[in-house]
Amino acid sequence: MEANTLNELKKFALDIRIETLNMISKHGFGHMGGSLSVADAIAVLYGNQMKYDPQNPKWDGRDYLVLSKGHCGPALYSALAIKGFFPREELLTINKLGTRLPSHVDKNLTPGIDMTAGSLGQGVSCALGMALGLKLQNKPNMVYAIIGDGEAQEGQVWETMLIAPNKGVKNFIVMLDNNKQQLDEFTNHISSLGDVRQKAEDFGWYALTVNGHDPNAIDEAIEKCKAADKPGFINMETVKGKGWQAKECVLNNHALRGPAFAGVDEVIENFRKELAAMQ
Amino acid sequence: MKYEMFDAKKIIGEVTLQEADANPNIVVVSTDSAPRTGMTGFITKYPNRYYELGIMEQGAVGVSSGLATAGKVPIFCAPAPFVTARPFEMFKIDIGYMQQNVKAIGRNCGFNYSDLGPTHYGLEDMALARLIPGVTVLAPIDASQLRGAMRAMLRHQGPVYLRIGTAPIPKIFEEEEFTIGKGQIVREGKDVAIITTGEIAVNVFEAAETLAAQGINAMVVAMPTVLPLDEAIIKKAAEATGRIVVVEEHYEVGGLGTAVCETCAKLAPVPVKRLGVPHVYLSAGPYIDLVKYCKLDPAGIVETVKEFTTQEK
Ligand SMILES: Cc1ncc(C[n+]2csc(CCOP(=O)(O)OP(=O)(O)O)c2C)c(N)n1
Ligand SMILES: [Mg+2]
Repeated sequence: MEANTLNELKKFALDIRIETLNMISKHGFGHMGGSLSVADAIAVLYGNQMKYDPQNPKWDGRDYLVLSKGHCGPALYSALAIKGFFPREELLTINKLGTRLPSHVDKNLTPGIDMTAGSLGQGVSCALGMALGLKLQNKPNMVYAIIGDGEAQEGQVWETMLIAPNKGVKNFIVMLDNNKQQLDEFTNHISSLGDVRQKAEDFGWYALTVNGHDPNAIDEAIEKCKAADKPGFINMETVKGKGWQAKECVLNNHALRGPAFAGVDEVIENFRKELAAMQ
Repeated sequence: MKYEMFDAKKIIGEVTLQEADANPNIVVVSTDSAPRTGMTGFITKYPNRYYELGIMEQGAVGVSSGLATAGKVPIFCAPAPFVTARPFEMFKIDIGYMQQNVKAIGRNCGFNYSDLGPTHYGLEDMALARLIPGVTVLAPIDASQLRGAMRAMLRHQGPVYLRIGTAPIPKIFEEEEFTIGKGQIVREGKDVAIITTGEIAVNVFEAAETLAAQGINAMVVAMPTVLPLDEAIIKKAAEATGRIVVVEEHYEVGGLGTAVCETCAKLAPVPVKRLGVPHVYLSAGPYIDLVKYCKLDPAGIVETVKEFTTQEK
């Protein structure tokens, strides 16, 4: 990747983190940890990989993203706003009565969202259906699904893992935000995913492990998956709460409410300075 | 009216622990959410009787059923939609059809998870549970009833679904033994009967006082058990007042309102107005805004009851 592209992706990811923290802290509630861990992946998707038209979100040449870990809507909304799907100011309407931006991604409400998610495990099946339907029409559009490591405890995820390679979909990439934490606990304390890359490979996927905070590595992994003869599975090693150091890898960083946001202004301010320094 | 407020989760945890001390068969099944249900005390004291399965609600219902076959009394608690809608068929067959001794608690019911939006609302949980023959459905109204209902549930033989919200729960009644299947006349009145269930009832009580001050005397009936339904008390209310309003934080379709209509059609045909969540997809939004939007606040209840009681029969 060219240095300039990489720099742009890093700036985009920072901007996503800023907008995410700003919107959820101003609202007083929101899924912080998983939104920050997935920010770099979303930056790569919307910054360098996916085809889309913010003026025409339903453009039929678009690639599709299903955020199956739908609670991380704020990270995706930030990316969509930054890219011009709707005004940035609208981010502050999160969860207000009648909003187009509820916590969980919602196909019926938000320009740029193609699938509702929030009940874990469901989005990834829907994504497979989209990939199958596009394949049937010989369309080149890609379908991406992002799942969480806690979400991967849902049996429904493994139904998709088993069937997708059997259906020969190649336009389908599942990205695991493997941040090692779920709602109450560290994932390993409940149910270890083990060597999840190997598991995916055994199920018939073209599977890779990458550093989920390195835009270059994520981008390369996507390129390799696209070139492969199978559906792609990218195990992204990530840190829950990435970027807000005090909240990284600690319990209770899943969703924050009220006083738990203490210190957020300073974090946002530092991100802003960092972003300005990169211009 | 000012009531003393309690944390529903704490009550659930406390009663579980007390009952577990007396009954070694009680176990707790969780899907990444037990501490959020007040179970920390139980987990600390009885780590071996606690199964944190991870996020797998469908499987958790099956595991609970199996534990029941092995003689255990499993309590499976999670957000209402993930206990009812997500694993519905498992609930129907693994718990309902086999009449397994499983206790399911759906918390954050109604639109209590207002910050999380439609995927996390439990607006059809009573309807779903009520569809399964032989499942007892409980929706306690206040802190005392919640304590009583928890105890009754854990001592009852057979499947139970108990729904509960999130917000602090008021103590309205004195503590007494909770009898499954019994409604309760909380206020006498002859102009209209308001039948209600769950924690939204507190708004009904306030509305009834306002209505009385405006010359409408409402009988108020509390229904902390939705199945088996106390049909006798519904018949009595219908005959005494000739009009019924049902208030619940649930879809107007399928819940207590529907159950009351079914009973009235059978035993005492009178006009029934269902005041619940309109049968549409509700927005995310602050809880209090949603209560108002659905007219489930005291003012909304007053308005609805007034309109209904002045209508021609
Ligand atoms: C079916 C279902 N069960 C439970 C939940 C509640 N819930 C929301 S997020 C979450 C933890 C998810 O962990 P993970 O997938 O690892 O997400 P991340 O760490 O990226 O936030 C849980 C249990 C849900 N949304 N859906
Ligand atoms: Mg996780």
